[in-house]
Amino acid sequence: MPEHLGLYPHWYVPAIGSAWVMGIIGTIHVLASHTSVGASWLFALLETKAVRENKPELMEYIKKYGMFLLVFSYIIGSITGPGIWYSVTVASPRGISGLIHNFVWVWATEWVFFFVEVIGVYALVYLLGKIDPRTHLKLTWSFAVASWATMILIVPILSFMMWPGNERWYETGSTFDAAFNLNYFAHLGVRTAFMFAIAGAVGGILAATMKNREVRIEITRFLSKMGLAGLFLGVVMWLWYLQTLPENARIVMETQMAPKYGPFLAAVLLGTLLYFLWTAWKPLQLRQGVAVAMTVVIALFGLWPEERSRESLRKPYVAGQYIYSNQLFARDVPGKGVTSDLPMIEAKGVLQTHMFVPADLRTVTPENKVRAGEFLTKTLCTNCHSIEPDAKLRALPARFGFSDDPVMVKAYLDGALYHGTVPYMPRLPLPEAEREAMAAYIASLSKGAAPMLAAHDALQQGAH
Amino acid sequence: MDAATTAAMLHALRDPTGVPSHPLIFQVLMVFTWIPHILFVNLTLGSALMALYAFMRRNEPHWQRLSEAMTKVAKVGVSLLVVLGVAPLLFTQTIYDPQWYASNVLSAAWVIGFIFTLTVGYLAWFTFYFKNHGEHAPAWAGWLGAFGLAMFLLDGFIMHVLSYQGLLPDQWFNWYVPHGQVDMSGTVIHAWQAPRFGFYLAMSATLFGIFLMAYADYFRSRPDRPADYLAFARRMGARIAVVGAGAQLVLLLWWLLDVPSHLGMWAHPMSWALMAFIAVLAAAVWLARTGEPGAGYRLMAMGVGMAALVAIFREALRMAYLQPFAYSAIEYKVLWDVPPFVMFLLTLVGVGGLMGGFIITAAYKSGRVQGMYEADATLRRLAVGSLTSTIVWVAAFIGTGIWIWLRNH
Repeated sequence: MPEHLGLYPHWYVPAIGSAWVMGIIGTIHVLASHTSVGASWLFALLETKAVRENKPELMEYIKKYGMFLLVFSYIIGSITGPGIWYSVTVASPRGISGLIHNFVWVWATEWVFFFVEVIGVYALVYLLGKIDPRTHLKLTWSFAVASWATMILIVPILSFMMWPGNERWYETGSTFDAAFNLNYFAHLGVRTAFMFAIAGAVGGILAATMKNREVRIEITRFLSKMGLAGLFLGVVMWLWYLQTLPENARIVMETQMAPKYGPFLAAVLLGTLLYFLWTAWKPLQLRQGVAVAMTVVIALFGLWPEERSRESLRKPYVAGQYIYSNQLFARDVPGKGVTSDLPMIEAKGVLQTHMFVPADLRTVTPENKVRAGEFLTKTLCTNCHSIEPDAKLRALPARFGFSDDPVMVKAYLDGALYHGTVPYMPRLPLPEAEREAMAAYIASLSKGAAPMLAAHDALQQGAH
Repeated sequence: MDAATTAAMLHALRDPTGVPSHPLIFQVLMVFTWIPHILFVNLTLGSALMALYAFMRRNEPHWQRLSEAMTKVAKVGVSLLVVLGVAPLLFTQTIYDPQWYASNVLSAAWVIGFIFTLTVGYLAWFTFYFKNHGEHAPAWAGWLGAFGLAMFLLDGFIMHVLSYQGLLPDQWFNWYVPHGQVDMSGTVIHAWQAPRFGFYLAMSATLFGIFLMAYADYFRSRPDRPADYLAFARRMGARIAVVGAGAQLVLLLWWLLDVPSHLGMWAHPMSWALMAFIAVLAAAVWLARTGEPGAGYRLMAMGVGMAALVAIFREALRMAYLQPFAYSAIEYKVLWDVPPFVMFLLTLVGVGGLMGGFIITAAYKSGRVQGMYEADATLRRLAVGSLTSTIVWVAAFIGTGIWIWLRNH
């Protein structure tokens, strides 16, 4: 057994937690990157039509959308892409490290595609009319396939974060066993479908500005068909995706999320469907402001909840069902030589084994109990929970019914948490003194808070 | 924290997952993929500053033309420096994970700030680009451009801090627990090194100056680029490069003085090799200062060579900093996983070579003619190779995936 935990210093973000910081950056990136990949296919299809049917007027639209993409996707998208790395690095260093060390060659391969994609979009836009159309068409198709390849390569990592889906990877440690996990193809299908839908919606922003009436009608209907195909494919893939989720994710979905998110996402889906039907039927009625509004609706009410719920569904893990959200290794992975941290913390605790503990907190005493509890709580809980009573990220005081009684809090730490009986919570077998310290601190957060009945109401409102 | 405890900490933090190929492969890739990244960082900073300076003198035709051109260069440069930065960032995390992650978490708010300031700065620069046309371009656009450049410099500084803090693991604990109180805010910049950061800024001048000379050579074949404008750019490029190289030499000496003497960097051959090469480069630029066309590409190759030496020197320095703590990237645990490595190599050569080669060749050849460029046989073959390689790649990856998925589930 190692002598020390490999935990890094911890970054605590008041009120919203580091998880929301990751979520915000991730949502912006997904919007920009999926638009870009979807648009690359739109360009390839439209340009093929333009060359085959000798309709150079369609190229004007590609130029416009391409310029828009340069700003929207290749500034915002390409910065927030590494930005996700940065945000995950500071929020979940051991989580990202686990992914990096499992998938370094997949990421390196994606980088090759990312590079040709970025130089490709510049070439696509700036070489329009500068090189002969047939050569340019090959460039555009290369760009489209390469763009999709970046998605093909990132989804293995994202879907592995949910789970490998079988025991094989834990034994072999093979990158490809991790990459082609149970969740992979369904997840790729969902994202591929979404890229068509979002590119169709964003494309409307530019289509609405086209001066040529016939071109505007043709392109808007093209976008509508692409959006509808994306929606249809998306629903099918989503139903498959649900079948590939682990048990803990199903429990989270059924007990924590479904009542709120189900109808909400269905409403967004229906609204988007009606939007594309309307733009196909009355393409000239599409105004730029409406297309912008539709994009914002999809981002705020479709994408953001989807990204947040995907993060919630993984609980209590952050990667491969072997790294908990609180950065502890939850199990052995013989294929990688990884051993669980849980026996160590059960035997010695966190304060004795974490390298970044102040000397005066190494041993819990009556004098330092609350401070030690604060350190432990922030280190072990705040990746998923805020500590401020009125915070939005699953606030701990609300979770404990605003109880200021350490005995009640400790009962939970002693029971469900110690033994790991709540499917979406990590097992946390801390020694008695550390559980007492955490209980004292968590209870102190609710000193002077509202009585239990009101607290219970707040808990219900704050639940996921 | 003493050296032994620091060593224990670094080994506890190192990911037990190990690496799937020999660490030397990652180290070499980390060093050599950093070279194109820093070249575009330097080019972007130099061209952005020149774009703004020339913008202030835009009532003169040469300056106006130069401002517009350099605004475009900086615009494309940021895109490329970001995408080219991904690879060294990946390989750094692979073999220097404790250093990178600890440094980032300890200044986490700045890390997040980096993302937003770079985005806002780049948007500002794009706005400047859209408005910077003609001698009557609005002055406010210049202020936006200046804001963009300020953000780029801030972001460069943040990256410098994150790299430098990673070299000082014996101080991490005190940064996290200053005066016995734990600081989880991530709002503090804990360490930076003026000569190191200054060296990279001076390198921007050198490389940008050389780029300007090559730029003048490239456009020699274009009748719409007046010869006196190109000569103007070439002469100015030489002047800037000489000043930049001189500043680099001074700052390198200061940097070496600032590095703790027990690391022995004065005796390290890379220190002297780098110093000698910069001096030779400065002399070569000096000899080309008269503005005779044709030296640009040769000097450009020397500039790339200098960046390569800087990359190796930088890694030698990191190894020296970490040696007292018994941390060596080469000793990383290896669990060989050959298939994904082969996938990367084939993709790099196949897709990177064919599609990248196609795009760069198309841009190069079409840029040298006025009007529409009709692809020659080489470019046509590259176009077919580009498309074929990407389609074959997707088919191979998905096919392999289906086979493994069916086998495993």
